[in-house]
Amino acid sequence: METEMGFSRFALFLFTIALLSSPVLSDLVLSKVDRRIYLTSQIVRYTATLRVENEGSELVSEVLLAFPELQAKNLAYLTVSVNEGKGKQKVSTDDLPIEVVSPKNMPPAVSFYSVTLPKGLAPGDSLTLDVMAVFTHALQPFPEKITQADIQLVVFQDSAYYLSPYAVKVQSLSVKLPEARIESYTKLENTKVHGSEIKYGPHEDLPAFSYSPIGIHFESNQPFSNAQEVEREIEISHWGNVQITEHYKLIHGGAQSKGEFSRLDFQARPNVRGASAIRYLVATLPPRAHSVYYRDEIGNISTSHLWSDSKKTELLIEPRYPMFGGWRTAFTIGYGLPLQDFLFQSEGKRFLNITLSSPMVELVIDKLIVKVVLPEGSKDISVSTPFPVKQWQETKISHLDIDGRPVVVLEKTNVVPEHNKYFQVYYKFNKLSMLREPLMLISGFFFLFVACIVYTRADISISKSSASYLAKQQWEEVQAAIQQVESIINRCLATHDKLEASLRDLSRTGDVQACKAARKTADGLLKDLSKELKPLLAFLQSSPSASQILPKVEDLVAKEKELQERVMTKHSTVVDAYERKSAGKDIENRVALQQQKITALKQEVDDLMEYIDEI
Amino acid sequence: MFKVAVTLVVSAGLAVCCAMMAVLIALVASSPTKGWSGRSLSLLDPTYASKYIPIIASVSEHQPPTWPSYFMDINVLAFLVPAGIIACFSPLSDASSFVVLYIVTSVYFSGVMVRLMLVLAPAACILSGIALSQAFDVLARSIKFQLPGFPTNSEVDAGDSNPITVEAKNNAPKTDKTGEPSKDRPSRKNKKKGKEQAERPSVKGKPEKKRLLVLPMGASILALLLLVLLSAFYVVHSVWAAAEAYSAPSIVLTSYSHDGLHVFDDFREAYAWLSHNTDVDHKVASWWDYGYQTTAMANRTVIVDNNTWNNTHIATVGTAMSSPEKAAWEIFNSLDVKYVLVVFGGLVGYPSDDINKFLWMVRIGGGVFPHIKEPDYLVNSFL
Repeated sequence: METEMGFSRFALFLFTIALLSSPVLSDLVLSKVDRRIYLTSQIVRYTATLRVENEGSELVSEVLLAFPELQAKNLAYLTVSVNEGKGKQKVSTDDLPIEVVSPKNMPPAVSFYSVTLPKGLAPGDSLTLDVMAVFTHALQPFPEKITQADIQLVVFQDSAYYLSPYAVKVQSLSVKLPEARIESYTKLENTKVHGSEIKYGPHEDLPAFSYSPIGIHFESNQPFSNAQEVEREIEISHWGNVQITEHYKLIHGGAQSKGEFSRLDFQARPNVRGASAIRYLVATLPPRAHSVYYRDEIGNISTSHLWSDSKKTELLIEPRYPMFGGWRTAFTIGYGLPLQDFLFQSEGKRFLNITLSSPMVELVIDKLIVKVVLPEGSKDISVSTPFPVKQWQETKISHLDIDGRPVVVLEKTNVVPEHNKYFQVYYKFNKLSMLREPLMLISGFFFLFVACIVYTRADISISKSSASYLAKQQWEEVQAAIQQVESIINRCLATHDKLEASLRDLSRTGDVQACKAARKTADGLLKDLSKELKPLLAFLQSSPSASQILPKVEDLVAKEKELQERVMTKHSTVVDAYERKSAGKDIENRVALQQQKITALKQEVDDLMEYIDEI
Repeated sequence: MFKVAVTLVVSAGLAVCCAMMAVLIALVASSPTKGWSGRSLSLLDPTYASKYIPIIASVSEHQPPTWPSYFMDINVLAFLVPAGIIACFSPLSDASSFVVLYIVTSVYFSGVMVRLMLVLAPAACILSGIALSQAFDVLARSIKFQLPGFPTNSEVDAGDSNPITVEAKNNAPKTDKTGEPSKDRPSRKNKKKGKEQAERPSVKGKPEKKRLLVLPMGASILALLLLVLLSAFYVVHSVWAAAEAYSAPSIVLTSYSHDGLHVFDDFREAYAWLSHNTDVDHKVASWWDYGYQTTAMANRTVIVDNNTWNNTHIATVGTAMSSPEKAAWEIFNSLDVKYVLVVFGGLVGYPSDDINKFLWMVRIGGGVFPHIKEPDYLVNSFL
């Protein structure tokens, strides 16, 4: 770095000599120049108040501003305005248009900007101009590598004399530093130091293109947060929300960190060990921002705070680890904003009025990409920005899209917080297009339900006269018939039970007449039941699909008949015995045989019924 | 011809099967542990792993459980399970004997290895369900039959509930039933039991009468309420255990201090730093617990991770961790390692950091490289 500084000093020295042999430009004279350079953060801010006098005889309509080329490379933002106030009252008007020009016969390594005056400067008149310039990456860390315990020292180089194509009568320069600790600075005559401010001047009567290089080596512990790439996506939904998603790739732009990082030292004495680390970043979001999230590739980052009031919402985020020189990180921030704050209508077109750049405070962005995603169906899209940006259009396919949504992409390099101005995107949108998405969903579900209804109610059997269909129907009929047979047999068996019951009654009460009456009713019932059975049996015999089960059914009927007969004989025997008043034992002996057979038959009938049941 | 072909195919197939079986048996018989892998052998002999394969013994899920871990996992079920075992014996059917066998073997194995608590859990749930259901049965029945205005036992339907002792002495219902004309045929199974005799009324297939338990009303209501409360607290505990012990990702540690929740996100901080500030082909060496996390979150190659089966490789890393700096540098250099990840919990009192695991690194390294001896790392060399 020593040799580099020496080399640049030599180049500037040659440059100064070259300047002295250059022609003087026009008849403007700067009678008073006050310059202030603010080095209080990583972004160098520079304001100059120029009092321009027209000493010639013609109307002058443009003023040239000159910057050394090395400085002009780092120039991010430049505005000039006319200062109309007198004395201490400074009233600024609108910015004047500025152009980059390269006039002929000028010394090399100088960039020129031409400011167009609105009304021109009449001969003999004077005008006060306010120039504000912002430089990025203008502070060089020196030494370039520091350990955790070292303080960060940076070097700033400029000229003590104002570089201008016009002669300057009186000028002064004041440099403001962040802290009172100055390592070294170029001492010229008329140099004074007050705390953290260095004053050079006043110098008088200097010719055009006078240049005197100075360098200031000082301590700066401001966080050198430098975003290499920021992608900001603004998605408009006409249902009431503007969703903003920002992706950041951050690097610490100060002195590189060498050696080890001790978390213990960092937490114990943060101002001694790691004073220049980036601990947090602050973002100022618009008021009424909701659903704010802060995450990265791995997941949610929980170290963040959010405060909101009626004018702004402040978000403080800490990266996952404190960032030292040369360290990188990447994260995503997202939030939603109410649509009515940002979308307006004028002359049949709608327009979005929103800030262009990132809401982060004091962040230098090397490359900013802004994507504005408009709802599908937007036409006649045009963009108006307060300063020139590179723009083109893309398409993004998102939820419920058919063709895709039009996306306006704006790109700008070397962005500072002064660039965070409002810009507008104009487009046309038919009100009826808002119904497209709900109608798509509604019709989708509607057709699905209609299809279900049709499917469940339609009869999709292929043929009504197919063999299997007929066979199924016949089998069902056979089954119905068998059920009826079963119920009849059940009723027969119930009648048998009644007869048995009447026998028991007889043994208890001895009432023969009641027994005979029961017998008569049972007889009648059984006759009816056998009559019912006949047509069923005939049907079963006729139908072909009952061929397997028919023998069993016939067997069942036959057995039941046999059972019936035996029960009848037993009954009559017992009644006769009672009428003849024979002894109990006698009766038992007579009916013993019958009883055995009856029991066996009952068992067989039961088995058959079960078997038929299972089919 | 067809029969000949069939016989040929069948015999060829049988021959191939026998050959494969023979090869398999030979392989199993020739291995020193007769085909058992290390992990399953340590189930039968719990000291096996600590003697021969320290890496299996080092996994904390392979350690025998302590009593607090039983209560943490199955909570109330710990004393409902024995009640359930007894209840399973009352009618000992196939299903209930299976459950008893299951619980006994799973209790044994879960006592060997805490990870097998997973096997114990379904058996414990089944048995405590049985126990609780029996308890609820008795209590609810006590309340039901002592409610005022409960109708007396005239409509007990066949086959289901049992007649209570108070009414059992009354024979009148039975004779009423035999006289019912409209009653359908009772089920056939019951019918088989009854013998029909002309003189005596038949018993319509009822199972044998038991003297059943009826507790006093107040006690049973109280007991019912307490059981319901017990189950409710068990549910609360289960939900808490699922949230705290089984769902809490151990990558984000939280602690409750006087000013609210404090989150220790150190793991993700380290992985994010690795992911953003190292080259893509830099390798990271760490203990194997952090392998998957490093691969997933830091997106860097690791030397050993959770699924490394190569015991020697893990032992190499363990040796490097237990060696002095020069020797360790040489080992790591041979593995082409750029970063070494070590977890230290001393600042906040995190108990399961690499210092806690250090002796296992020594044991595992010493299992393969004999120059690492465990007594060298202990202050008093008696264990």
